[in-house]
Parts: sequence; structure tokens; C-alpha cells
Amino acid sequence: MKIKNKCLTLARQRFWPGLWLVLLAALSACTSTTIDEFRQAETGLNTGETVVILGRRQGAGYETAADFVQCVGDRMARGRDGLNVVPEQQFVDALFPWFEPRTAPLRSDDLQQLMAQPMVSDKMNEFGVRYIVWLDGQTETSNRMGSISCTVGPGGGGCFGFGSWEDDSSFEARVWDVSSNLAVGTISADASGQSYMPAVFVPIPLIARVEANACNSLADQLKQFVQGG
Amino acid sequence: MINSIKSFRLLVLLALVSLTACAASTVEVQGSYPSPNVPPLPLTLGVYYSDDLRNYIYTELSDTGKEEYLVAAGNTHMELFNTVLPAMFSQVVVLNNPTEAGARGVDAVFMPQIDEFQLGMPQKTRLDAYEVWIKYNMRMTGADGSYVADWVMTAYGKSTQGNFTSAERGINDAAVAALRDLASNFSISFRAVPDIRDWLSRQQLQLSGN
Repeated sequence: MKIKNKCLTLARQRFWPGLWLVLLAALSACTSTTIDEFRQAETGLNTGETVVILGRRQGAGYETAADFVQCVGDRMARGRDGLNVVPEQQFVDALFPWFEPRTAPLRSDDLQQLMAQPMVSDKMNEFGVRYIVWLDGQTETSNRMGSISCTVGPGGGGCFGFGSWEDDSSFEARVWDVSSNLAVGTISADASGQSYMPAVFVPIPLIARVEANACNSLADQLKQFVQGG
Repeated sequence: MINSIKSFRLLVLLALVSLTACAASTVEVQGSYPSPNVPPLPLTLGVYYSDDLRNYIYTELSDTGKEEYLVAAGNTHMELFNTVLPAMFSQVVVLNNPTEAGARGVDAVFMPQIDEFQLGMPQKTRLDAYEVWIKYNMRMTGADGSYVADWVMTAYGKSTQGNFTSAERGINDAAVAALRDLASNFSISFRAVPDIRDWLSRQQLQLSGN
């Protein structure tokens, strides 16, 4: 388990009326991220092999946001040791109709049946897919408090007030090895943080980047995981 | 005289502006659909799009009963079936009338129909998404008009409100998602429809010459 804490810092800011409020809020605008990894089998990537990151969308209550899926994919592909990540939409379109919300395999056993179809296995080989990563989760906002009021008059305008809210991200990544049709591990990322919006003449958003931190932490861990690190 | 003409023009302009303000928004559903990766059946299928399907428009009413959105979904359905069916059958012929089937040498005629269309708007459902449900009646007859199969299919699609700058785009994307859902379900489950399965087994007998 890995726990990371990130806090906003307000260095080199000029003092001005209300700064104490901003500073107070900024000191508290932290995010906390917890990463858990469960490995079921050895992993590794050979030259030319790719990874595809897909979002689970079969649930009625919520769906894993496409933006988050893209964020994880982009992060895994970035850097000198970046992996070959197949874009989600390109993969889902090419393998239509087998990875749609209603038809996508839910268990790694289903993958074996799917790969038995020549049209599917041919497309998988075309992309060089070694790992399928299923992302499932969402970000929820809760504990909204405070209020901000803004007025505009002939002599000018301004806002005054204070608002805050809490964001909680909870995502799980299940990794399937296409070469063995087996589930090889699960990585979960939980991040939470409090955001603040003090308003003294103008609203100053102090946003806890909860989802972005969950994305970065999960992507870094996934990258290590599939490389066998 | 000149003043009265000016006043008349102004009145007409005001009337036009107020009419435009009250007019319902029209959403012509547009999307692209991928071709399904399924093994094609060695049959020639005739497809007939009725005028009801071609010109299908769903009207969403406001709480006060006024027309709020007109969702024109006929063309996009034809685009969908024109993409999906050629992947499922070795040959597809679009018929202007089901009676042409015999002369065109098709093995069967497929006639999709929209039975029901529902739209879920965020301001009414209190959910953060536009939702579309569509209920279809699918019919298939032999080239001579004899019964082959008649079954119901449903499709569902949603698009998150936060992704869109306008309600029109949200409705469009939810409708396209529903049509993708229809295409995936239709192309996978077609052979499993009991009457279709029986008909295919009979066709197989004929194809193999028994």
C-alpha cells in the first residue's frame, strides 16, 4: 500500500487584504491518495506488445469517465519508458461489437471464449495487445458547505463568501493477460481532498486535484505492474 | 402612410422573433457506426425501410405540453442498418417495396420498425445525463411474404451532461450510444432469436441440398 499526500503551497504571494483566509484554505487544500496492489501472476512486456485501457460502463448508477481512462492511458504512454497504449475508442470501434457496455467480457474466463473467435483474435494480434486493463470507478463530491454572493452596481461589483466541498475518487484497475487469458492483478486507487472557494471581491478557487492525483498514481503503478517491476 | 408601413414591418419582425423564440429545437441525429466483426451468413437479405422509419421524428414535450425538442432519427437508423447488415450477410439489397423481393432474388426481407422512443432530460430526471431508450419491432419474412420471425429489441444510450455545451449535443450523443447498443446486440443475438434459428437451420438444409 502506498499513501501520498499533496498540498498546495502559496509561496511568493504578496500580502493583500484577505490573504490570511486564502493562506488558511491553501494550507488545508490537500489530497491524500492510497494505492493498493494485488498481484496474481508474473507480468512483463515484450517489444511490440501493447496495452489497452478500457472503462467499465455496464453499471446503471455510474460509468467510468472516458476522460479518466484517457488520462491513465496518456500518463502510461508518457516518458522515456512510455508504453504502447492503444486508444480506447480506436480499440472498441475496431473490435465492435465485442467491447460495448452490454457485450464486454466481465470475467477473464469470458475472454477465453471471445479469443476463440478468429475475427477477434486476429484484431487483437493486429494491435499487438498483451494486456487489457479494465478501469472501474468514479469521483463523488460531497459535504458542500458555505455560500458566495456576488453583486454588481454602478460603482463596480464584487463577491463575498466562502464555499467548500470534498471530492472522493475511488478507482480499480483489473489487468488481464491476453496471452494466457488470465487475470494477473488488481490495483486500486483511492484519493480524497477538500476544495475551497474563498471570495473577497473575486472568487479564488483552491481546488484539490483529487481525480488527477488518482489518475497519475494509478497510471504509474500500472506501468510498473505490467512491466513486471 | 410611411409610418404605418414601418409599424407593420416592425410588427411582422417582432412576430417572427417571438415565433423563433417559441420554436422547438430540432436535433437531426448524426453519428458513425463501426462495422461488426461477426462471420457473415451466406444469404442475400432484402431490407425494407418503411416511410415510418425513414421519417421518424420523436417529439419531446415540456412540462406545459409545448413541443420542446424534435429528434429526427430516421436517417441515422438507415445509416446504421446499411453498415451493420452488409457485415452480417454476404449480400444486402435495399428494397423500395417488400413486393420486389421475389424479383430481386433475396432469401428474406428484414423490416425494422421503431415502436417507442423515450428521452430522459437531466432537468426532468435529476440525473447528470441525457438518456435515450428505443424499443424496436423487428420483422423478417420470406421472399414470398411468408412469416419468418417477429421479435422485440430494446436499446439504451446515455451521455453525461458535464461533457456537453448544449442539450442538442447531449441528446444526439445519447441517441448515437443507443444505436450502437442496438447494433451490438442485434449483430450478436440475431442468430439466437428462436424463429431465426429455426429458419436458419431450414435454410442450411436447403443450402446443403437436402
